[in-house]
Amino acid sequence: MADRSNISSDLIWEIARNQNAYLVKRRNGGHAYYFSRDPLNLVNQHSRTHAGFVNEKAVGVHAGPNGEGVTLMTKKAKKNGNRPASSLNTVAWGKGTPGRKIFKGIANYTAKNGYRPDLRGPAVSRASAIQGSQKAKKDTPAKKLRGSKAKKAVQT
Amino acid sequence: MTTRPTVTIASADGTDSGSTHPLPAVFSSPIRPDIVQTVHTGMAKNKRQPYAVSEKAGEQTSAESWGTGRAVARIPRVSGGGTHRAGQAAFGNQCRSGRMFAPTKVWRKWHQKVNLGQKRFATASAIAASSVPALLLARGHRISTVPEVPLVIDSKTFEGAAIVKTSAAVSLLKAIGAGPDVVKVQKSRKLRAGKGKMRGRRYRQRRGPLVVYNPDTDGKELVRAFRNIPGVETSSVYALNLLQLAPGGHLGRFVIWTSSAFAALDDIYGSTTAPSALKKDFLLPSNVVSNADITRLINSSEVQSVLREPRGYPTTKRSGVQKKNPLRNRQVLLRLNPYASAFSKEKLGQKSIEQENPKGAGEEFTKILHEN
Repeated sequence: MADRSNISSDLIWEIARNQNAYLVKRRNGGHAYYFSRDPLNLVNQHSRTHAGFVNEKAVGVHAGPNGEGVTLMTKKAKKNGNRPASSLNTVAWGKGTPGRKIFKGIANYTAKNGYRPDLRGPAVSRASAIQGSQKAKKDTPAKKLRGSKAKKAVQT
Repeated sequence: MTTRPTVTIASADGTDSGSTHPLPAVFSSPIRPDIVQTVHTGMAKNKRQPYAVSEKAGEQTSAESWGTGRAVARIPRVSGGGTHRAGQAAFGNQCRSGRMFAPTKVWRKWHQKVNLGQKRFATASAIAASSVPALLLARGHRISTVPEVPLVIDSKTFEGAAIVKTSAAVSLLKAIGAGPDVVKVQKSRKLRAGKGKMRGRRYRQRRGPLVVYNPDTDGKELVRAFRNIPGVETSSVYALNLLQLAPGGHLGRFVIWTSSAFAALDDIYGSTTAPSALKKDFLLPSNVVSNADITRLINSSEVQSVLREPRGYPTTKRSGVQKKNPLRNRQVLLRLNPYASAFSKEKLGQKSIEQENPKGAGEEFTKILHEN
């Protein structure tokens, strides 16, 4: 893509912004919401900044295999733009990796490899949300009895 | 454009065969979704067959209006008696078993002429778009295992009718990384909504890869090998069709080229300066803008050097703003009184007057003063 003068991210976005396979339109009481299913979209919103398939530099964060751990995907469009099989880099963190280590890893990896600084925050918060979702749910504590039922319980 | 990009030719097992081919000029033609869409809507109409309701439908009765005075509407009514039909309204579009409003006619304008120049432009545009991975992804093709876009396969694979059986074609598609796209098509097969089910269009499914071959060297046997794989279509490079290159008018069909078909593209489409060998009076359309990267254009030093400074810089002159109190706002004070900074730096405001307390006038003076 880099050395083709008739193609650019701007053009691709203008072609694909109205319809694309990732676009999800949802209507809620007259207000339309535009979401994206793009794996390289960090906030799942249909927008130019976050459209990973359009932009040359894009980052994606996903849950690892079997829903354990976190995987970072980065796009190598400059060099391998027209080689889809080798255009993605992945970094994986396993199940037990502490959150801070993952966040630091994501921030450092994206910063040192020249990825857009405005994607760093969303990448980290997505990783954090994924980690939160992977935590085992606590059981709800047994309900305390109130009022007359509590009195009865004390008497018996 | 510095150098003409090259495309590696993949061998039958998906690996790099070592040979490359320069990208044909048609891939540099402008990508114009507007032209492709209008041409597509026109071309899509040209395969329609006429339909119409029967000429006689709703008119096969000798109904006559009863006229006024019978306290019923003046619509024609079926004559006679002895059956329920007698006395019922007929003919009108609002009537039960009447004719429809404006009955459809077989002589409707079914087909649309599309100018040849526009068709060629649209085809060139769609071919160019088929080489952009982002547009393929936007169309929904599964290309994450494809080694390169545009995907070119060595014609040796097809030589001597090597691929005649569908099983060979399927394993070829899997080997070159097009397997996921075929799986996507297979999974997408759904029962069609509506009457189309009973009109020979029972299922609907996605489109998979389009295999473009050169009949002169690759032979036509591969067509039979590929034709029963769901979603996979084949096309001769000499007869590329916009309906296949941009289904639904959406750019970015996943195209698998054989290397001889890929090589033939330069002959078929020529370039922007050299006319095409096979199409009469055809030059490839040129790009209006030589660099489509708008961000790069805007950020270029040529543009940036002649732009005015953005507003909101520290040096931007602001007019019509609220008056600031110089006694409270130090910057405004300094603008009005340049001495103020020196005054405060020296702490002149806090300094006491540097002189000794006044001495008394002296005893001599008091003595003289008190003397009478």
